[in-house]
Amino acid sequence: MDRERYHRQLILDGFGTTAQDKLLNSNVLVIGAGGLGCPALQYLTAAGIGRIGLADGDVVSLSNLHRQVLFATTDIGKLKTDVATERLAAINPEVFIQSYPFFVTRNNILELIADYDVVIDATDNFESRYLINDACVLLKKPLIFAAVSGYEGQLAIFNLADENGITTNYRDLFPVPPAKGEIPNCSENGVIGVLPGIIGTMQAAEAIKIITGIGKPLKNKILNYNLLEQSFYEIEVTPAPANSYVLPKDSSSFLKMNFGNQKADIKKSVIEIDISELEDIRQKKNTLLIDVRESHEVPQLNRGEFKQFPMSALQNLLNEEIVEDHIILICQHGIRSLSAAEYLHEKYGNEKNIYSLKGGIARWKNFFTS
Amino acid sequence: MEIEIISFGKIAELVNLKNLNIDGIKDTDGLQKHLEAVFPKLKEIKYKLALNKQIIHANSPLTSGSVVAIMPPFSGG
Repeated sequence: MDRERYHRQLILDGFGTTAQDKLLNSNVLVIGAGGLGCPALQYLTAAGIGRIGLADGDVVSLSNLHRQVLFATTDIGKLKTDVATERLAAINPEVFIQSYPFFVTRNNILELIADYDVVIDATDNFESRYLINDACVLLKKPLIFAAVSGYEGQLAIFNLADENGITTNYRDLFPVPPAKGEIPNCSENGVIGVLPGIIGTMQAAEAIKIITGIGKPLKNKILNYNLLEQSFYEIEVTPAPANSYVLPKDSSSFLKMNFGNQKADIKKSVIEIDISELEDIRQKKNTLLIDVRESHEVPQLNRGEFKQFPMSALQNLLNEEIVEDHIILICQHGIRSLSAAEYLHEKYGNEKNIYSLKGGIARWKNFFTS
Repeated sequence: MEIEIISFGKIAELVNLKNLNIDGIKDTDGLQKHLEAVFPKLKEIKYKLALNKQIIHANSPLTSGSVVAIMPPFSGG
């Protein structure tokens, strides 16, 4: 261990070599290298965690950069795990960075987290959050949860027994995931860049506290942070009554769980398509293309070709008597369009073919802007 | 009797009140019913109630000065 590197925390009252050794002998898995993951990874690396796992299947995009401060403009298009591994190794070559360049699924997550002492959920969607929660409960791994929206953040530690031996998990707060479109995500609702910086840094702080045993980790509590008010509100979490939710008891039942990210979950007649399928379908007669974004969103599309029905006035779309047989819905990221597609499916049943462009305009930018 | 309401995220946009006179309302179930009648959009969003900084899993009595927090799940990162 390079003593000079860690000098300022080695001389800290209550920290010292004992705590530093614990960090060096520990390992932490960070799932998601986004707004929360970037600062968490930077501070954990700088602090001298022995081994850090980093899982993310995404590439860097321009709209990431206002909050994902580990990445530079020249990194756009590169795998986040590749860029992050390089930057983190430069920050502290003593730390072993293990990169997993893929998204977590029910098929890979158990194996992934089995190898770590502490798990940090730095993802950006409910499917992954429930998947990670349930996997951590099954394998009894402490989970540092955080999520942000707009100007507010949430932070909690689950699966870590308090002084009374009580543990809680995310399902004690929200037993089942929200429906698609019920709660907006960052790409729809927006997020101020510095906010995940604050909350992700707090995740790193909690990991360091859990590992070294200093201070009071946020066990069985959820902290609500408001950046505009600069205020904190802590709520105590208690286990929900028995049978409020069902968690898998072993890995084989875990593998059968429905986490909402499997194709079969989408109602039969709503089909998520990619851009080449969109191209094929639009050639058919009787195809209607609908943009459900708000009128201020860019890039603006040709209104003659893409009829606009903003999601904020969904009822207008539902009131419309559509004559076309094929309806393709698009939006910025393919989340609102999927939700709108489900509503249309409820109205038309199997009478019409209803499609949603997966990944939205953001994923197929070249197609829409050329 | 008056209680304090604290709300977060999307809920704060819907439920724009801090202090609430709840004459005739005795418990959190009654409060929930009242809020969902005044703010119908609340019915469409998942949320959890906390009473005096503690999550509640069942109907709980309210007293003057009770603080009720209404917390939605966040997914962003």
